[in-house]
Amino acid sequence: MSTDEPSPHAEQSGHEHHEVEGPGYPTPGAMRTESEREKTAYVMAPRVGMANDGPDFVGVIDLDPESDTYSELIDTIEMPNKGDELHHFGWNACSSSCHAEGLSRQYLVVPGQRSSRIHIIDAEDPRNPEMVNVIEPEEVFEYDLSAPHTVHCVPGGKIVISMLGDAEGELPGGFLQLDQEDFSIDGHWEADRGEMEMNYDYWYQPRHDVLISSEWAAPNTYYPGFDLDDVEADKYGDSIHVWSWDDREHIQSLEFGERGQIPLEVRMSHNPEETQGYVGAALSSNIIRFYEEDDGTWDWDVVIDEEPREHEDWDMPVPPLITDILLSLDDQYLFFSNWLHGDVRMYDVSDAASPRLVDQVWAGGLFGDRQEIQDTEIRGAPQMLQLSRDGRRLYWTTSLFSSWDNQFFPDIAEDGSLMLKADVYPDEGRMELDEEFLVDFGDAPGGPARAHEIRWPGGDCTSDVWQ
Amino acid sequence: MVDAEEGRHAVELCWSGGQSETIRVDRDETIVDAAEAAAVAIPYGCLYGACGTCTAELLAGEITHLKPPRALKDQSLEAGYILPCIATPETDCRLRLGHDIQAEVVGTPWK
Repeated sequence: MSTDEPSPHAEQSGHEHHEVEGPGYPTPGAMRTESEREKTAYVMAPRVGMANDGPDFVGVIDLDPESDTYSELIDTIEMPNKGDELHHFGWNACSSSCHAEGLSRQYLVVPGQRSSRIHIIDAEDPRNPEMVNVIEPEEVFEYDLSAPHTVHCVPGGKIVISMLGDAEGELPGGFLQLDQEDFSIDGHWEADRGEMEMNYDYWYQPRHDVLISSEWAAPNTYYPGFDLDDVEADKYGDSIHVWSWDDREHIQSLEFGERGQIPLEVRMSHNPEETQGYVGAALSSNIIRFYEEDDGTWDWDVVIDEEPREHEDWDMPVPPLITDILLSLDDQYLFFSNWLHGDVRMYDVSDAASPRLVDQVWAGGLFGDRQEIQDTEIRGAPQMLQLSRDGRRLYWTTSLFSSWDNQFFPDIAEDGSLMLKADVYPDEGRMELDEEFLVDFGDAPGGPARAHEIRWPGGDCTSDVWQ
Repeated sequence: MVDAEEGRHAVELCWSGGQSETIRVDRDETIVDAAEAAAVAIPYGCLYGACGTCTAELLAGEITHLKPPRALKDQSLEAGYILPCIATPETDCRLRLGHDIQAEVVGTPWK
């Protein structure tokens, strides 16, 4: 079975005990061990705010080391409009629909963060994806929502997208639900958002009736760029929210205050028995573990806390800025990126409440010893991460968000960003930059582009949830 | 009889590299829409004044924002920055454009 296979069949995945076939894998362990090496990557490639602007595209990268075009951008699916800012994306179906007959992991749901336009791309042929449907911004604004971010397919034939603002780009945000079959808009997912105002990323665990969402800010706050005055004015998030998955109701807020400023990416354990996860607080640069207590309420602890660092060219100590985090499919390793400092870190989280730093790779950023790879300047720093299903290859891109890139790493706007890779040795608890691997989005056909979220055709560490 | 020319203004778009282009913008038409119609590439994102990707500096003339310019703080508006995606000219205008004006307006924290 090829890694690119969008929908493994029951007999191929050891899935006989289920009565019907569906997309994905019965367990995280099955996905980790029974899929083969990733051969293709899809990468969001925005051109918003570039010196030579044009439509964004979805980049197709060849990851097959046997191929002549290994480590190259082999195809681009251009968006029909300019200005979308492709950012995060997801599938119409994943392992959460493992029991759903007739569904397959075939369609990519690709939102424009700035435009609020949502694109549907048919990736049945992994190397030849095609745009098949576009939901225009006006259709989204009708539900008084904007700024689509995280896309998860959910059981029951639906797709749920976290939305960061209302139709004016103000608060509150919410969740938009699409139908998995025809991609029509059902309306809001949430029945009662309670005191939740800000939204960003979310993860859910149906077995424990829970969804956890995080906070960035109102779109009209974070879109124009990062301004410390907005932090002072409490316009950025400092909380995560606990929802009842079944009732679609907000039930608890965990407020971190200064100990968790701008909590972004939420990763719960892949093991569906677990009732815990981590969120990376970007600005305060710490990792917060959240977990369910015996009485059914949720609590949190800071389990990793990083310090700002003096830099001779900067007036104030610069925070690391944790912009993405990721858990390996066996829940053994936590990886995260420090986008301003310039490193990606690997922690052993086998003792979930006591992460242990085992390795880090420096590449670009303000403090990276290494500022070049293959004679190419590393523009930006480690940012969006994606790990191979077997946990042995960590890939990342170097762009965060067009307006924030232009403040902190303005070279990206001229020359594009990069995709890099480290080889990971989970048995030895270490990783090493692969100097042979480089995808330079500065060389993209039609002009340089940024590079953001990464996914594999067969599912990955940040796409799939198990019921 | 309605004069098609009535209310139409010339907007000179000046890039930091030195090149410039003049477009005609109809009454109540946005500068971004007029530039698109004239096949002149200028930066934009949300198209409703929330995101600031299109931020430009008004060097001469007067404009009206057709919606609240949410992406710009008061001091940026007072300093002469505008959002061409929701701006229509009231007189002939001259604008400074570029992908990097948004970052110039916000600055870089800690630096």
